[in-house]
Amino acid sequence: MTLTYLLIALIAMFGHSEDLMGTTLLSRPLVLGPLVGLVLGDVTQGVMIGATLELIFMGNIKVGAAIPPDVITGGVLGTAFAILSGKGPAIALAIAVPVSILAEMVISGLFVFRAVLNKKFSQYAEDGNYKGIERLHILSGLLKPLLMGTIILLTLNLGAPAIKSLLDSIPPWVQTGLQVAGNMLPALGFALLLNLMFNKKMAPYFFLGFMLAAYLKLPVIAIGGFGLIIALLVTQVSEKPVADDDDNFGSEDEQPETPQQTHSLSKKDLRSLFFRSLFLEANFNFETWQNTGFAFAIIPVLKKIYHTRQTMAAALKRHLTFFNTSPYGSTLILGITAAMEEQNSLDNEFDEESINSVKLGLMGPLAGVFDSLFWGTFKVIAAGVGTSLAINGNIMGPVLFLLIFNVPHLLLRYKLTFVGYNAGTKFLQSLAKNNVMDRLIKGSSILGLMVVGAMPATLMNITTPLQIGNKGSAIGLQSILNQVVPAIIPLGLTFLVYYFVKKNIKTTYLLIGLLLLGFAGSVIHLFA
Amino acid sequence: MIKLVRIDDRLVHGQVAFTWTPALGADCLLIANDKVAADEFMKMTLNLAKPPGTRLLIKSVEAAATFLNDEKSKNAKVLVLINSIKDAAALADSVPAITSINFGGLRSKEGSRLISKAIAVNEEDISIIKDLLVKGIELEVRQVPTDTRQFLQNLI
Repeated sequence: MTLTYLLIALIAMFGHSEDLMGTTLLSRPLVLGPLVGLVLGDVTQGVMIGATLELIFMGNIKVGAAIPPDVITGGVLGTAFAILSGKGPAIALAIAVPVSILAEMVISGLFVFRAVLNKKFSQYAEDGNYKGIERLHILSGLLKPLLMGTIILLTLNLGAPAIKSLLDSIPPWVQTGLQVAGNMLPALGFALLLNLMFNKKMAPYFFLGFMLAAYLKLPVIAIGGFGLIIALLVTQVSEKPVADDDDNFGSEDEQPETPQQTHSLSKKDLRSLFFRSLFLEANFNFETWQNTGFAFAIIPVLKKIYHTRQTMAAALKRHLTFFNTSPYGSTLILGITAAMEEQNSLDNEFDEESINSVKLGLMGPLAGVFDSLFWGTFKVIAAGVGTSLAINGNIMGPVLFLLIFNVPHLLLRYKLTFVGYNAGTKFLQSLAKNNVMDRLIKGSSILGLMVVGAMPATLMNITTPLQIGNKGSAIGLQSILNQVVPAIIPLGLTFLVYYFVKKNIKTTYLLIGLLLLGFAGSVIHLFA
Repeated sequence: MIKLVRIDDRLVHGQVAFTWTPALGADCLLIANDKVAADEFMKMTLNLAKPPGTRLLIKSVEAAATFLNDEKSKNAKVLVLINSIKDAAALADSVPAITSINFGGLRSKEGSRLISKAIAVNEEDISIIKDLLVKGIELEVRQVPTDTRQFLQNLI
């Protein structure tokens, strides 16, 4: 058993290492669930439980410094106990939800603690000691997996027997209730997504997705395909850049402070910029955020162009200032910064201040663009397709989930390094001029919303066992519903929760409310 | 109508474009900042981050106040973005409709301390905050709409 526990803790550590692996969604329950299943000898169960948890935590996203519940710790422990006790996904939830909220507090504490390291980082920068910065950045990154791994290993070794006997004593009716309650929880995930994506203008796309799934029973992947085609058609109707206001920027002719003439960095240098950007979030902390991650990524470039201790120290100090952006678009800023640093190393007249002002000016807006694109679209589609397969135990679920998200992510992230370096801010100007971003984000939200529309119909298994009429001639209410509006119950629940989310009710209360509703509904035979 | 007045030193970014704008149903983002209003490059990058279907206005603090006090702006659902406590106070002084200010993000600077995960303030900030509180303006900390409100008076 000890070996099993150790392996489970290692899986959680792997998940917690995501910050050193490009924020590639390796930490999601849909990915870690099957791994836990593998260790415990039941991959299929692991896939299914992972999918269930993924649905519930779907709306939980990491934007800026807003730290969501720790689905890694919660998900791994929940999956493990569900398989060990043989009681299925409902138990996974019952464990994952509270554990993930507790674990989030530990992680927030770590993000506060990491700020203490900043003194050390500054000292290294002062000395021009880039090796010290690199080392401490990685060490601090390893702190999170080590800390959480230890906590999980201790929990498993000390608490497993007690938790198991507790789970064994759960009577069947409670378990049925939990099962129904668990089937309701995805409504919360969907509602949180709607809160980010839904508005009156975009509503038709949501309902189109819903109807394709509910009436035509199309799989999510097909709806994604239709969504893509519709998004392309809608955005191709060339929208003239809306000159809606005199206050909007008018003069694109003004060149920003990046006159780039020389490009002496090699392809290899830029490639290392990309690879190192994958470590961007390793030392994420609440004081300076991704600053050391940025420095870590750009160090190879600095090494190449600055040959004295003073110039190196100045550059390192420059890049230890506060930084925070979407990891998915970070290479664009890294590329632009690399070009500017290069210019600075060659030109004594170059205004060093401008490097940080461009960098800090870009980080916010680009985070807006890339967070919307990746969290709002790619993640949603990946999760929609992935969970719809995985919920039935299909191992292709987690595989497609990772591919749909990371193929565009890594390709774009790689490409942007070069674009940033070669074209610099000119690239951004041409994007701005042609309204590309507006169209891109609009198109991707059409696609995302259609997939979200399909979700209540395909991924939420809530029906009613109510009968209408006399005993002899009773007909099931559900069979009537199925002929009129199938999946109306999941859709209704989703919008009910969405209504409360809009009213600013706390997510935790909604979660508890849904659990109670499902549980009570199961006991009085309203829902099944 | 002012939907929210937010202090955020990154102005428009993920949290704003992707969580606040849809949650508030805002159709107009107003950046009140003297420096940005005069900086074409910053204007360009901020326009890139503009959430679809919204209007982005970038004005000096003074012009922003005039805009917000104008009857014509009452039809728009405005999310006001400011990057410092000082500008927020200046705006609140000249726009009576501002009764609440959201603190979203202020990075650490010289002589500042963290009073919340993403909010760092120095002595000068604290004295402005106290003034605002005396005037009865609600000051609350939330990074994203689903966070629980924390009130400034309990943090300083």
